[in-house]
Amino acid sequence: MAAVKVNELHKEDLPWIIEYDESKCIQCGKCTAVCSFGAISPCVEMRKKSGNINEKNQYEKVLVVKQNVGFENHCVGCGMCANVCPNGAIKAVRNLDDRYAIRYRAEKGESLKRGGRSNLNTEGRTLDKIKIGRISQMTDPSLDPVRHTFEIRAPFGRVLSADKLGFDVSGNQIIQTKSLPPNRWIYPIIFGDMSIGAISSRMWEAIAIATAYLNEKMGIPIRMGTGEGGIPVNLLKSRYLKYMILQIASGHFGWNRIIETMPEMVEDPAGILIKIGQGAKPGDGGLLMANKVSQYVQEIRGVPKADLMSPPTHQGLYSIEESVQKMFLSMNAAFNFRVPVAIKVAASVTSVSVYNNLLRDPYNIVGGFFIDGFAGGTGAAHEISLNHTGHPITSKVRDCYLAAVHQGRQGEIPLFAGGGLGQTGSFAADAFKLICLGANGVFTGRLLLQIAGCCGNDTEKCNACSTGNCPAGLTSQKACLTKRLDIDKVAENLVNFIVATDMELKKLMGPVGCSTLPVGRSDALITVDRHIAQRLDIQYSI
Amino acid sequence: MCRIGAIKSKKYLHPSIALKLMRSQQKGHDDSGFAFVMQDLGGIFEHHKDLPILSMAGTVEGARKAEDILMDLGFKRVLQWTPHITNKKGLKIDPLPNYVFEALQYPKSHKYATQEEKEELLLDTALKIRKALEEDNSGYIYAFWPDTLVLKEIGSPKDIGTYFNLWEENSELCSKVITAQCRQNTNYDIVRYAAHPFFLEGYTVLANGENTFYEKNKYYQMKLNRAYRGFESDSQCFLYTLHYLHKVLKWPIQYYKHVITPLSIENIEKRADKDVLLRIKASLSHLEINGPNTILGVTPDYDLMCVCDSKKLRPVVIGQNEDMVVMTSEVTGINELMPERDLSKDIYPAENETIIVKNDLTVERWQQ
Amino acid sequence: MERIETLNNGNRMSTQELLQLIQSKIDAGCTEFEINACGQHNIGGSSWAKDRNKDLKFLLRNPGQRVGAMGMKGTSILVEGSVPADTGWLNSGAEIIVKGDSGDTTAHCAASGEIYIGGRVGTRSGALMKHDPKFKIPEFWVLKNTGSFSFEFMGGGIAIVCGYDCDGLKSVLGERSCGGMVGGTIYVRGKVENIATCVEISTLDANDIEFLRSGMKRFLEKIGRAELYNELTNFKEWHKIQTVAAAKKERMSIAEFREKEWIAGGIFGDFITDDYAVYELAGTGDARCRFPEWNKELCIGCDICVKNCPQKAISENYVVDDEKCIGCGICSALCPRQAWKMVENNKEITK
Repeated sequence: MAAVKVNELHKEDLPWIIEYDESKCIQCGKCTAVCSFGAISPCVEMRKKSGNINEKNQYEKVLVVKQNVGFENHCVGCGMCANVCPNGAIKAVRNLDDRYAIRYRAEKGESLKRGGRSNLNTEGRTLDKIKIGRISQMTDPSLDPVRHTFEIRAPFGRVLSADKLGFDVSGNQIIQTKSLPPNRWIYPIIFGDMSIGAISSRMWEAIAIATAYLNEKMGIPIRMGTGEGGIPVNLLKSRYLKYMILQIASGHFGWNRIIETMPEMVEDPAGILIKIGQGAKPGDGGLLMANKVSQYVQEIRGVPKADLMSPPTHQGLYSIEESVQKMFLSMNAAFNFRVPVAIKVAASVTSVSVYNNLLRDPYNIVGGFFIDGFAGGTGAAHEISLNHTGHPITSKVRDCYLAAVHQGRQGEIPLFAGGGLGQTGSFAADAFKLICLGANGVFTGRLLLQIAGCCGNDTEKCNACSTGNCPAGLTSQKACLTKRLDIDKVAENLVNFIVATDMELKKLMGPVGCSTLPVGRSDALITVDRHIAQRLDIQYSI
Repeated sequence: MCRIGAIKSKKYLHPSIALKLMRSQQKGHDDSGFAFVMQDLGGIFEHHKDLPILSMAGTVEGARKAEDILMDLGFKRVLQWTPHITNKKGLKIDPLPNYVFEALQYPKSHKYATQEEKEELLLDTALKIRKALEEDNSGYIYAFWPDTLVLKEIGSPKDIGTYFNLWEENSELCSKVITAQCRQNTNYDIVRYAAHPFFLEGYTVLANGENTFYEKNKYYQMKLNRAYRGFESDSQCFLYTLHYLHKVLKWPIQYYKHVITPLSIENIEKRADKDVLLRIKASLSHLEINGPNTILGVTPDYDLMCVCDSKKLRPVVIGQNEDMVVMTSEVTGINELMPERDLSKDIYPAENETIIVKNDLTVERWQQ
Repeated sequence: MERIETLNNGNRMSTQELLQLIQSKIDAGCTEFEINACGQHNIGGSSWAKDRNKDLKFLLRNPGQRVGAMGMKGTSILVEGSVPADTGWLNSGAEIIVKGDSGDTTAHCAASGEIYIGGRVGTRSGALMKHDPKFKIPEFWVLKNTGSFSFEFMGGGIAIVCGYDCDGLKSVLGERSCGGMVGGTIYVRGKVENIATCVEISTLDANDIEFLRSGMKRFLEKIGRAELYNELTNFKEWHKIQTVAAAKKERMSIAEFREKEWIAGGIFGDFITDDYAVYELAGTGDARCRFPEWNKELCIGCDICVKNCPQKAISENYVVDDEKCIGCGICSALCPRQAWKMVENNKEITK
């Protein structure tokens, strides 16, 4: 038996402890087989056979399941072992005396990395403290989802003020004579920005299928943000490209293929999203750990198998003026000014000044402002960033909207909000409240993984997206895990979720008497929190 | 529920007709007030159609303040009309000491001014007077515009009629266009400014309804034009949108519906003019209204207009004979004024219609 | 016959004064009224005689909203001209005749009795009509057309829209009528467009024609337009609207969509081959996270692994049947000589 020393990683240091009930175990081996982390193994324990101290020690070998202790193969609490155990003999239990993070840093000299969302929710969720409180009861009747028609749409693309549309009037007809920036009406929910590589091929394709299905079979014109991990040529050449918002981030991964395929495209993409930052890890570039950089990821991104760390900023963009000129102009020019080009930034104290600059851009080529709050998710980030950097989404959306109101330019650059939406279970309510505060629409990524079967949560459960060992096959590139995912089932769940959300949005629009989205209708909101009321300029109610 | 009415006539009419139009629709009366706007004036103002008329009410101090501002700017009084007050005991009215209706000559500086320059002057002057009156709460200015007279008061419509002697016809006060409401927005404080009809630069709007996009509209309109202010009633938004679309943007009035209740994308996509309509929908999304409404309006050329919300949640009917067209909430009012008319010519506007009554009383119906 | 003037020297009798006056006259034995109204509401509706065998008759000019609202059996009301909204609201048995037009929500919630309109009716007319089988089925006759959103949530009863004088109208039922309708029948003559999906339009059968033939005569006599009988009884021009049993809309399955409409071979088809088969948790073969490798050199042939393999996947010759093995690692754990080694399955999806 090996010597045990203090300065080693011990079971008691780990965030999750395996609770194993030998009396229930039938030694079927499923728990150890299913564990993608190798956190448990079958093991032979030597046990003393009899309790009689006068006899010579006699031992017997017993087969048990044992928790492994190691930085690379410790339990993350995903719960798969409990899912497969026929007898309920095993489960992972949160270790309240966890010292893992300290041990990791002390041992490795590296910062801790993981996926998921911030696990430190010390502020509480503002959106949960807001209620929809202006209910139509008398002269402005509440609307009925059956009888009344609702229109749940958001503009995407630069909107010019009416006096700048350059309309001519001929008799009783208005004629459009000027070429105007592209603008499209889309569903106000965008599937958000998870790259190929960060998520598995099946997960990515399932989102794409759900997007196409919602558009073509359900009449819901939802769009999918591609993330930046390259786009397969098959998709670029298909008619489904029109539902895709192509992302360009600081890594510029896969853009050569997009450019080369342009002459063969049968449809324009829905839009281009220039990613400046991400709410989960603001000021940080994309991160894809080497063990997820599989063969096809290498090809599509044009990189070797290595940790892929995108720079925190677009090289060569050192001012907003430059970004407008270089990125916006180039991306607009790429599709001959037919495709809206939007920008995504991490919510920050400075979001408003960025927004103001874009609003004042004289070329009118900024077609959307995506703000990503700190509660957003990620496939991989330094935990220090996840837990300690960023800015909540709610007040920032409000600030940007009111900044536009102040200039009389609300609505000119549509606002999209994301970051932790649906975290406490009511995505439609979160979306509705943000829209009342001034957003035109919302985007969500992390939630899609949860819909698809993610076993993690925001209190340190699993969060192993960065490892490539995703037990649900969502963020893994290994065949044995990716193929655990039922692509049809995932797409169906996504479709169902959006259909349900659509109904729930109507159930919120009806009572406030709105048949179209109540963008900026903060009068519909109340809060029981005085500080929130004051900060967001909504009614304080007790 | 508010009851509203608009009359356009070939002959000059005394405002008693508005009281009669509204009399049978008393469901909408709650003694909160009576107000009317007369345009295309006859009677004593008939020969001064080009001159701006000040319509205000206030204390002695308020009237003097307004007078001082006007005189300082070089306006000269040409004609004044004072209502004949009958202050019987027990009338439900909350009158002010002074009611001023006077036609003024433009200052010499504006003798050769363009139409636009004159309009600017009138707007600036009206805003200045309003500000001065608000400082010490000494009165209300309802209009300062040619060929227009506005009266608003708090109380029972019938008693207000009695107080101002409006029940009896006479030839000194009459007009071809009269809009009236026998109630004001009673959701909030009873304020004279909150009483329909609302008037701005030749445009008059009155509405029966509730604009649930009031805050959205207000935030946007506040920055659009210095004249868009007050917002004491959510229905003022309808006036400012009409003014913005027709006077500022110079768009045909048929597009008013496309701004306040735009068609669904699905329906727009089927149309030949979809590009224009989609742009309007996006650019003026903050002027969209929601909630139940019937809106009656008058343009500076004295066309009458009527539109409803997209769910047609409020009543309105239009009756006509050879001499006049009447738009009002309930047919009972029209029955009183024109019992012998051809009923089959009555119009019940649909949710997607714009009705326009031209000066020769032809009625145009535009489908959105 | 009692005549009531409601406007005297410019003073208008309020609705309350008028309704109380009517009731007091009824209590005094009066059963027939001729009323020159000035927009007063609810006239003729909830008035009733204590002697329930006494019928009440009203002749009205210029009444306001809700003529005959909450009307009772035995009451008949005739209005000479046009009336505003809510005529016959909650009608429970009265006969209400309006010779002119009637405003919005006419016959709203009518549950019995007859409503005859000699002109048009406004939006949301006939909404929530219903039929209690213990009472006579409500009938709602309209000579011309209805406004939009009519017959919403209709639950029972019969409505007849004759489409007279409707040339140039796109739809005699306006737009989006019948939303949420769950029962009842609407007979309609003329064009109908943009109607709710919960109803279907069908042709008339013999019973329908019989009903309309006899009813039409009665209706036209009531409104004084008997001359229209022939014009309105060409039953080829008529249709019937009723609800359809809500068939659950079948949705194409995602699998079918993927196979038939989605990009052939999948969007990653030029990089990888994926048959989209789904591995079960703790599955065999390639679904294993790791698999055992046997080292002949170390094996002592004790057979512990063979005996203890939960899947019975190891043969006597220590060959692993990949179709049985789930990669649990028990063989490796039990082997006294470490002849079994578990190897991570890092295979990627490839072409």
